[in-house]
Amino acid sequence: MVDKPFNSLEFSHIKKSFGRGRQNKRILKDTHIHLKQGECTLLSGKNGSGKSTLMRTLAGLIKADSIAISFNEQLLDNKKAYSFIRQHVMYLYQEPYMFDGSVRRNLGYALVRKNTDKIKQALKWADLEHREDTEAKCLSGGEKQRLALAQAWLKQPSVLLLDEPTANMDKHAKIRTGKLFAEFKQRGTTLLIASHDLDHLLQVMDRRLILENGKLLEVEKE
Amino acid sequence: MDSLSNTIIEALTLLFNGNAELWTIIGISFQISSTAILIASVPAVLIGFTLAYSNFFGRRLLISVFNTLLAVPAVVVGLTLYILLSRQGPLGEWHLLFTQTAMVLGQITLSFPILVAMSHSAFQSAEMRAWDTARTLSNNSISAFVIMLREVRFGLLGALLAGYGRIIAEVGASMMLGGNILHYTRNIPTAIALETSKGEFAQGIALGIILVLMAFLLTMILHYIQGRGMLAHGR
Ligand SMILES: Nc1ncnc2c1ncn2[C@@H]1O[C@H](COP(=O)(O)OP(=O)(O)OP(=O)(O)O)[C@@H](O)[C@H]1O
Ligand SMILES: [Mg+2]
Repeated sequence: MVDKPFNSLEFSHIKKSFGRGRQNKRILKDTHIHLKQGECTLLSGKNGSGKSTLMRTLAGLIKADSIAISFNEQLLDNKKAYSFIRQHVMYLYQEPYMFDGSVRRNLGYALVRKNTDKIKQALKWADLEHREDTEAKCLSGGEKQRLALAQAWLKQPSVLLLDEPTANMDKHAKIRTGKLFAEFKQRGTTLLIASHDLDHLLQVMDRRLILENGKLLEVEKE
Repeated sequence: MDSLSNTIIEALTLLFNGNAELWTIIGISFQISSTAILIASVPAVLIGFTLAYSNFFGRRLLISVFNTLLAVPAVVVGLTLYILLSRQGPLGEWHLLFTQTAMVLGQITLSFPILVAMSHSAFQSAEMRAWDTARTLSNNSISAFVIMLREVRFGLLGALLAGYGRIIAEVGASMMLGGNILHYTRNIPTAIALETSKGEFAQGIALGIILVLMAFLLTMILHYIQGRGMLAHGR
């Protein structure tokens, strides 16, 4: 069942709180999200509303207090769900972490088997060819975000969660990156993008969700 | 004065003329300590890693336990293992007392807390985001772990060297557990203690020179590695 082509992924009853006792803060209050193949969803919400928390929960990086996951309309067993998510869902940090070593080495980490041709293609795709031998930790914020996108391009997840992917970019880079999102979409990758940059995403965006008071609300198109 | 300089010349002669007994003692020292570090490092690094990146009940307690164990004197470790391994002890049937194995066990116990504490802080220096990124990029936890090992390699190497430094010159546990048997369990520190008590200083000084050189070398490597680590992180 798990190896079937990806159609949709539905997360429901997502609850997450931080801290114990009096300091307990409920960030996600029994909300749900339905991600369909090839669809691009924009996620907005105030600072601190829990967008990053939601995305990291969906990627299996933090443990939800409760969550139910259905793949292609079928409920997944709790134990299987975790490894399933790890295989299909990829989360990119707003400030991506780069490992010690060259840009090339960091790209290689996204591949199961080393493949020089693919790495070259990815460098070209993200416009980082001139940076191949640079220490990845020494890249600028915007370049790191492009490198992280190139890693995702190599890894080819079914669902890609992007946390403010254009936050460190100038106008030109934002437009270029918007095109990279469109290419992910053409490939059939499902995108969930947390961003305040509406303008650059209007072309790729299919729908928009707002996270407010721990719940996701669909925004009607005007 | 005259006798002191004579003794030093005698010590250097022993070292450079390849005195067999002396070099056997040095060989035993390095063999036992290297074995101990190799055996201890694998579980210690795994524990340090788990303490850094997973949140389980009793994690903080475990961290303070290992930090407390850092301060336990070598003679106490020696005494505890001696009681366990002695003929009437619970592990007496293994007949391990006064063997190289007993010394290796003692040195594993001594180096373990340092290895855990230092690999824990090595992993922690790389922050949670690094581990999450490694997990996101890899298909399985093992290759993610390998990425992390490389990322903190300088810190881990520092842990190994510090652990080595703690056991190579340690006399209490080695004496009690090994018994100071020539050509078998006599290592550098126990030999120095014995020769000095007999009033024979030449061999002691020769071995002392080796230990000091060793300490110097370890410190140099450690400094070099830490320098590399900082460069690697762009500081
Ligand atoms: N590990 C944590 N421990 C305790 N509280 C946390 C933790 N992570 C997040 N929070 C809290 O959860 C709330 C939501 O944080 P989150 O980072 O998800 O918001 P966000 O919507 O992504 O904000 P921004 O737009 O600034 O990126 C914040 O109030 C934050 O303080
Ligand atoms: Mg955020």
